[in-house]
Amino acid sequence: MSVSNFSDKLFSKAAMRGIFAIVVFVLIWEVGARSEQWFGYRFPFIGLVPPPTDVFVSWGGLIADPSYWQSWYMSFLRVFGGFAAAMVIGIPMGLLMAVNKASYGIIFPSFEVLRPIPPLAWVPASIIFWPTQELSIAFVTFLGAFYTIVINVLGGAKSINKQFLQAAQSMGASQWDIFRRIVLPATLPSIVVGSAVGMGITWEVVVAAEMISGGGSSGGGAGGGLGFFIWSSYVGGSYEQIIVGMISIGIAGYISSELLRQLGGLLTPWLKTR
Amino acid sequence: MPDPANNSEILSALKSAMPFQMVPGNLMQEIAAICTQESYEAGEKIYDLGAVADDVFIVAYGSVRHTLSADTDASKHEKTMRSGDVFGWAAVLEGQSVRMAATASIERTLVLRINGKKLIKLFESDPAVGDVVMTRFATLINKEFYVPRSIADQVPGFKQALNASNLQGSEVTTMALTVYRISTWLKSPRPYLMLIGFALFLSFWMLSVEIWKLPRFVDMPGPTEVFTEWFSEDPYYGLSIYTPEYYKHIGISLQRIAFAFFLATGLGVPLGLFLGWSKKFREYIFPLFEVFRPIPVLAWVPLAIIMFSGSETPVIFLTFLASFFATTLNTMLGVESIDESYSRAARCLGASRWQTFVHVVIPGAMPYIFTGLQISIGVAWFSLVAGEMVSGQYGLGYVINTAYMMIEYPKIIIGMITLGVVGYITSAMVRMMGDYLMQWRVRELALGDN
Repeated sequence: MSVSNFSDKLFSKAAMRGIFAIVVFVLIWEVGARSEQWFGYRFPFIGLVPPPTDVFVSWGGLIADPSYWQSWYMSFLRVFGGFAAAMVIGIPMGLLMAVNKASYGIIFPSFEVLRPIPPLAWVPASIIFWPTQELSIAFVTFLGAFYTIVINVLGGAKSINKQFLQAAQSMGASQWDIFRRIVLPATLPSIVVGSAVGMGITWEVVVAAEMISGGGSSGGGAGGGLGFFIWSSYVGGSYEQIIVGMISIGIAGYISSELLRQLGGLLTPWLKTR
Repeated sequence: MPDPANNSEILSALKSAMPFQMVPGNLMQEIAAICTQESYEAGEKIYDLGAVADDVFIVAYGSVRHTLSADTDASKHEKTMRSGDVFGWAAVLEGQSVRMAATASIERTLVLRINGKKLIKLFESDPAVGDVVMTRFATLINKEFYVPRSIADQVPGFKQALNASNLQGSEVTTMALTVYRISTWLKSPRPYLMLIGFALFLSFWMLSVEIWKLPRFVDMPGPTEVFTEWFSEDPYYGLSIYTPEYYKHIGISLQRIAFAFFLATGLGVPLGLFLGWSKKFREYIFPLFEVFRPIPVLAWVPLAIIMFSGSETPVIFLTFLASFFATTLNTMLGVESIDESYSRAARCLGASRWQTFVHVVIPGAMPYIFTGLQISIGVAWFSLVAGEMVSGQYGLGYVINTAYMMIEYPKIIIGMITLGVVGYITSAMVRMMGDYLMQWRVRELALGDN
């Protein structure tokens, strides 16, 4: 049943169209990239990009290379480290600001003043401040997710209908009951959304931070993470590997978002009506 | 003349009447001073058809039957006036000296009488307010009584005075409104808590860096160092609000943002609209779009440098790319969010595909488009900084990165603060633009809050 569903989906008109478009795109890319070789005339922009076939050949060579997987591992570690820190600090902070007016008044303006500064502008300051490169990358990653998570938690908690709280209070619910039964379930969807957005930003930030700071603790090479992998491929002139790196980051980012989405779905089963 | 208790009753009755609702306090007092209260028993006649029209009436409580003369071609001749309703407006009409209706109270009724001539005279002293009240009278006459338009046109205006003093009047009211808002804000605890927050933040920075010299903090530039540099006429590191260099960096960053943002909007909004509008187009293009989207924009940096020559184009390309994805995706979601029945209704009423597109799809997607533009301008700054740090000459990201390389640490913080300020201003501009273009939505949201 599910197999036939899947194959129905795979061979549906929509899927075929999508696949068709992607195939056409790859063909154009191949032809464009090889234009100089084949026609003696180099197409603008695309003529400078390595062709997809070369990219896949180079990727095939890398799959057996442990240092490539080490880059994956390092980036994942940093993303999840920064992300976890952002959750651990951001969610309570958002909830505190939503529940307590005084703390909202004190924290929120300063928060709003710092928020427009792009996380990447923090990279140099963070390198100066933190003792190791590893920590400074993690800090910038943390910042990337932190703002989004706090804002989403705050928004979610503030949008709770006051009557729910009043009803619970008048029926004798304790503070903990109100938090557990009303505030938490009501904010969970926005926590999930905020985390998903934050996860996207962490990948953006980690890549850039790795590029700017030059790869982290082990001074580049295998310990550098995927962002540094791209950068060192560029510096080393192996352009195919840049694209391998880009695709790898795309896949890694997609996997983490999907993981988060599944987890979020498990945590908020009541939203699964559609 | 009126005793205070009576006066407040008159004022509240006046305020309940639609045309007078927005009259400011002092003028309202003057109007109240020319009001008289009068009570009628059930069934008592208030005025007759063809009687001299001298006063305007407002029902304070009770109810009044209002019967228009049969020869006015009104669509509805009989009407019951209740508390807050206004009748007897013939008294303020130009060239109308007699009553056009007969009125009688249905139950025990209290009414306010205002002499029409005196009222007009009062409004002449404040034409801006007078015009609004008269416009409301005209609306009222048109809407509530279904009389021909020509009667509402008899409502006097103060147009000659309008041009000169309306501007001033509205300026005064917006000023007054701002002052009022500021004063309520100052009375709330918010500004003081905010100051406490800033003070805590700054003093933590200052204490940890400059006074206690905590282990890791001591390498950081302290607030006094940063601010003296920033506002110094002869900056030690060569960057302050007095150096033209500073504005050059800001200008170049802004130029890049503007170029990339408008390009991304120009391409992203139409693409998003078509993606949402045509199912076929979406099925072809969207998967390709989804393949590219998970790749972080910043991972494009080296490829952008390879593809585009020079140091300027790669930075703009990166900024553009970030904005483009955000704008396109949100526009598409916006089109998808439109209730299908709107398009169907438009088609049923004979709208062409193009008309449906222009009058249903574009306005319907607007809220999402502007959310997208908000995100777009944010990510534009985000990737601009990265682009400028890695490649490029000038710009605020470049300032931060070179300051780090040259160990001119206060410049890093100046660059960061400037980025924050400029970034905030640009997104505020986008938000204001959105609010301006979608005033219907702003009102809807404001109503939703109540």
